Amino acid sequence: MSGTSENFYLPSLARAAHAGHVTRCLSGLPDSQVDLDSGRMAIAFYCLGSLDLLKMVQERTSETDRESWREWIWEQQTSGNYGSGFRPSPFMTGSMSVEETKYTDYDTPHIIMTYTALLTLAILRDDFSRLDKEGILSFLKACQREDGSFSTVPGGGETDLRTLYCAFVVSHLLDDWSGVSVERALSFIASCRSYEGGYGQFTHCEANGGTTYIAMAAIHLAPVTSNPLTPSEIRKTIEWAAHKQLQSGGFCGRTNKLADACYCFWIGGSLKILGAGDLVDSRSLASFLASCQFKFGGIAKAPGEHSDPYHTYLSLAALSMFPPPISANDANSSSWVFDALDPLINAREETAKWARTHIAIRR
Amino acid sequence: MTEPTRYADRPEWSDVAPIEQYESTTPLAPIFYTNEYKDATNYFRGIVKIGEKSGRVLELTEHIIRLNPAHYTAWQYRYETLIAIDSDLRKELELMDELAITHLKTYQVWHHRRLLMLKIREPLPELEFIARTFKVDAKNYHTWSYRQWLLAYFNDDELWSAELDFVEDLLYADIRNNSAWHHRFFTVFQSGVHEGEEDRERVLKREMIYVKQSISLVPNNASAWNYLRGILEHNSTPYSKMITFVEPYTLSMDEQTADLVDLDNPPPSKGAHLPCALAIEFLADIYEVQGGDSMLKATELWKSLGNEHDVARKKYWEYRIREGLRALQA
Repeated sequence: MSGTSENFYLPSLARAAHAGHVTRCLSGLPDSQVDLDSGRMAIAFYCLGSLDLLKMVQERTSETDRESWREWIWEQQTSGNYGSGFRPSPFMTGSMSVEETKYTDYDTPHIIMTYTALLTLAILRDDFSRLDKEGILSFLKACQREDGSFSTVPGGGETDLRTLYCAFVVSHLLDDWSGVSVERALSFIASCRSYEGGYGQFTHCEANGGTTYIAMAAIHLAPVTSNPLTPSEIRKTIEWAAHKQLQSGGFCGRTNKLADACYCFWIGGSLKILGAGDLVDSRSLASFLASCQFKFGGIAKAPGEHSDPYHTYLSLAALSMFPPPISANDANSSSWVFDALDPLINAREETAKWARTHIAIRR
Repeated sequence: MTEPTRYADRPEWSDVAPIEQYESTTPLAPIFYTNEYKDATNYFRGIVKIGEKSGRVLELTEHIIRLNPAHYTAWQYRYETLIAIDSDLRKELELMDELAITHLKTYQVWHHRRLLMLKIREPLPELEFIARTFKVDAKNYHTWSYRQWLLAYFNDDELWSAELDFVEDLLYADIRNNSAWHHRFFTVFQSGVHEGEEDRERVLKREMIYVKQSISLVPNNASAWNYLRGILEHNSTPYSKMITFVEPYTLSMDEQTADLVDLDNPPPSKGAHLPCALAIEFLADIYEVQGGDSMLKATELWKSLGNEHDVARKKYWEYRIREGLRALQA
């Protein structure tokens, strides 16, 4: 441990309060958050994922809750002209009656929600017996564009690197890559590389932490025999990422920006995937995240801001990759202990293992 | 503020059967909708069900979008309606000028704008609009992404002609705006050769002078150093060509010797905070490439970064020392 990082004071991580925050969000969100309506599955993932990283799913939820939540998620699996996948929520659904078994063009599955639904089902230890594997492969195919990128919904919506990552994780979990053209996808990733060494959200865009993580994870998930990146490209990406950890211990997402808790995960995760996780100063990182704790629970993007499930989950995921070295003087050192995280699919290792075995078996 | 009259109470909507949202008894993360949102989306689901595309659909979808700008289906249906009824897309763009500034960070606002532009095909006024939004937030990712798409997609000389001046204004306002530096790189090196930029040697020289002068003004600016590295690599110029320029920045103010004005190697400005860690890093990179005995010089510089000038990144500098030694032994 370096001399300087010892200077970072580590208060306790308010695990119970953070679990309380995400549990409250699971049971309902105020109308001021109505913009999450078309992304509820992702919110559910951040909430249940936080409980999973805290190892509090059993303690904080009942078997009845978990059973009915699994049911709710399966209700969002829908099939139609572009294959099968998961909707964000029933925000465009009028009924679940039998005569309307196929989705319309206005209630299709969504690629990001399909990824988060699979992970959430794994957290809830579902057996995946209802998964429409063939349908999902067709859906991925329907979302991929000529340039290799993926759209959020078939035939429309934005395209960028986020959706490509989701398609890759889904293919990886299904252990079947026949729904995507890996070659075109990799060439799209390459087109997003910036002169700084990070990756932008789209061709020609500025290097950003979130999309750099996504590029690194996707490249490492891809079923290819050799890494498409040259050693000097890898070195440059490590150099770019390492420079994003600031004096506060937090990471910023772009050159000359301020620290934001979510980039502790996105950039920390990029370094971890590149085998350079030991370059992260985990003690100052924990100290920064401690300062982002909101007094009524949850973790915020920066000190003094309000918490939300997204920043709470990603902060806990960062701590799962980089648990701080504990010294004898620390208050409540056990509050900083986490299970390891699978950095490629972004889930606690045990959950990732569950997902891999139970989803792939449905071939 | 009074709530608008509910669609359920408006006779002109009485022919539409509203459709309630389906929800099971134990949903995950349900949202406690306002009555206004519930009413509007009930009628929206009703409209979508019968497939109506009309003027009142534009009114309804605008209402929903104002309540929830991330409602991507409302956007999608709105766009299809605009096309189906041959609506005035320029008028729609005016509405978007307002919504884009209110909802600067919403994906859908910018996606819709792209779809409109693919039909209208008049990108030039868009560049002015974007410049106005930068007065609110000059680093907004979606806006930059939209600008880069416009330029690359329509790609004509008129469009590119003022781009460098535009970047310069932004950098003048904030020399550390990395989005502007990135855009400069995109404009000069990654989007083909634009009118007036055919003499690449002159362009490279101009950019070198530009970035060096910027560093001279504010040495501790990672965006400028990254730009310098970027153009050297892009043009296959070895870093070592910069040694005369870089060295003064690695020394303290007392150690500065230059008194002649050398345009190719502008010295640090008077009030600069020296030595500059980014310059030390650059110099170490030069020594590392030289290898041999120079590797020891590189190692000394990395040590000074880890122990003194950039201690927050100590682990990174230790890694560079390890990697350097390994290369030396190989």
